[in-house]
Amino acid sequence: MWHDAVLVAGKDIRIEARSRVALWQVVPFAFLVLVLLAFAIGPDQATLRHAAPGIFWVALLFSTVLAIQRSVAVESGEGTRDGLRLSGIDPAGIFLGKAAAVGLQLLALQVVLWAGVTFLFDVHVHVVWLAMVASLLATVGLACAGVLYGALSAGLRVRDTLLPLLVLPVLAPVLLAGSKVWEAALSGSTSSGTQWLKILVPFAVIYLVVGIVLYGPLQEAA
Amino acid sequence: MSASSLVPPRPRWLDVVGVLGLVATGVTVWLGLWVTPPDVVQGNLARLLYIHPPLATVALYWAGGVAAGGSLLYLWPRTRSFFWDRLAASAVEVGAVFSALTLATGSLWGRPVWGVWWTWDARLTSTALLLLLEIGYLALRRVPADPAVRARRCAVAALLVAIDVPIVHFSVQWWQTLHQGGTVLDPGFDLHVHGIMLWTLGLGFVAFSLVFVWLLGVRYQVEVLQDAVGGQELEVSLAERWSEDPELVGVGGSGAEAHERGGAP
Amino acid sequence: MSYVDAGYAVALATLFVYAVGLVVRRRRWERALRASERPVAETGAPSHGERS
Repeated sequence: MWHDAVLVAGKDIRIEARSRVALWQVVPFAFLVLVLLAFAIGPDQATLRHAAPGIFWVALLFSTVLAIQRSVAVESGEGTRDGLRLSGIDPAGIFLGKAAAVGLQLLALQVVLWAGVTFLFDVHVHVVWLAMVASLLATVGLACAGVLYGALSAGLRVRDTLLPLLVLPVLAPVLLAGSKVWEAALSGSTSSGTQWLKILVPFAVIYLVVGIVLYGPLQEAA
Repeated sequence: MSASSLVPPRPRWLDVVGVLGLVATGVTVWLGLWVTPPDVVQGNLARLLYIHPPLATVALYWAGGVAAGGSLLYLWPRTRSFFWDRLAASAVEVGAVFSALTLATGSLWGRPVWGVWWTWDARLTSTALLLLLEIGYLALRRVPADPAVRARRCAVAALLVAIDVPIVHFSVQWWQTLHQGGTVLDPGFDLHVHGIMLWTLGLGFVAFSLVFVWLLGVRYQVEVLQDAVGGQELEVSLAERWSEDPELVGVGGSGAEAHERGGAP
Repeated sequence: MSYVDAGYAVALATLFVYAVGLVVRRRRWERALRASERPVAETGAPSHGERS
């Protein structure tokens, strides 16, 4: 399973390295969300600083949907998914590989997004480790849940409208917990931050396990 | 058909412009950082104003103008030519670099003066939007497509990007927020810059304009080469395919012709 | 490093890197064009559709 995961992850990453869709489309999209939310919230510096954590996570969530769409689209060619299934690669390995590739993209995105939010909203993260751990945990959860729901909606003609509708409510806990952790990281109250971190851990674990177990059956059913 | 006939020769004047631009930029930097005196009000920070407005001018008016003009000329059937499409695309990419630099130098100036790296004032926001629009165009450009289809799509996209240009220009007049009013082009401008400072500012405009022209030229050459290689590989693949199956030979020429349709140099 | 120095450095460095990048790209595509003119040797040429 692990070997297959590395194989699939490598494939997805190499495709991204050649086409650079995440770089040219997902990252600018994330910044676009930042700008749009700034438009909506208005120019008051204090309000924006207060809203910055939420803005970061909303931008990340919307970008995750895009990254998942891309991850699914990579195999949407004629017979590609069937080929992948028939190749004998462990479906759990496919799941882990795709989730790892998406996760890596999301981590890179968060670095850029973090810098962007700091720059655009004039905030300063005081408890850095808190924010970093939150990002790592959240990424696992986002990538696993995302790839799972991507597989759910793959092959459906309404995939583009269905996937966001399916996956965003599922990712909402990450949004909530992530924003709270960031609020704590910005203000320096470590204790409340760690409380919210505890929500991110089970989320990540649950979707990792569920994904490993259900991805295979999902592929068979499609 | 020989591929080298698709590629225009490298013009001499472009290299000359490049050298002039390099020299002018060097002189501007020398004047701006060492020769000119510190400003009465802003001190040394005013030195950034020898490069920030020129960068903005290039990004907004030169790049935006060429991109919009080229796109219009491509869309209008009388003047349609891949030359305008490639020129417009080059202008958007070079323009994006200058837009990003405008924001960067402005931010570095704003941090000590306003206390923040960024503020959501009208001019900054519309310029950031311009950069995002340009990046969107560049992402669109990278999607593989038939050259004529891509050209038409990108021409329309470039015109949509250009809509933001007047917004950026008039933003300081329409919304009186943080960024100062225009300098040279502002109605009722009161000339605060004198003597060597004025000369340096003027040289800065000239220098970065020359640099822009050179970058635009080289980027255009890259664009032509990319399309030529793409087309050449298509011809080679087609030739190989047809040589395998003699029955297809009769269908031969249409592929290469369709590729060249709508384009000239 | 003052804000002024940083500003000049960023602007000049970025333009320099971009300029060098363009010249490198031009050279690479010129080589690719020469290579693709000879139908036999095509190894190393950037593939159709890929943009640098």
